[in-house]
Amino acid sequence: MNVRPTTLPRHELVGLPVEVRTASNPAFEGISGECVMETTQTLGIESEGRVRQVPKEAAEFAWTLPSGEVVATAGSRLVARPARRTEHRGDSKWR
Amino acid sequence: MSIASERIERLSELAREAAAEGNHDRARRYVRRARRIAERNRLSLPRQFVRYTCDRCDAYLRPGANARVRLRTGHVVVTCDCGEQDRYPYDGQ
Repeated sequence: MNVRPTTLPRHELVGLPVEVRTASNPAFEGISGECVMETTQTLGIESEGRVRQVPKEAAEFAWTLPSGEVVATAGSRLVARPARRTEHRGDSKWR
Repeated sequence: MSIASERIERLSELAREAAAEGNHDRARRYVRRARRIAERNRLSLPRQFVRYTCDRCDAYLRPGANARVRLRTGHVVVTCDCGEQDRYPYDGQ
């Protein structure tokens, strides 16, 4: 499993520890835990025994990769249908 | 290995862990996501993934917990709690 900083926005986000750095809604700031769910517009982050649903567009996230690196991403880069996110750039022979 | 196949592998591990913790709905979501990625990227799913998931209800199967495994002559029958039966052939002798 090679989630690298360059592939993170196209890779599987579920299962990674994540922290909400900034958000337009202050109630979401500082939420940290494991990402357990993804929809087009939101991420479900399990923290303190419940799943918090955070909109991607309005937040900035810090991901901890399996290698221990911490990568920050603007949430707007992640807005896409979960299964389609992989196809947005490169890799495919068809585009 | 492409990102898509890495995602499928990762999702099947996550589904296995979720099912082991009893989060069957979460496991089901991961299984569906993995199937969708395989479909969109024209990849075949790993054999282990196929055999450990239910075709009908997408549950991640744990023999003894939510699946029964029985041997018949020439094939294995895996029955999911939802009632779906999958048969896999094996070579006798």
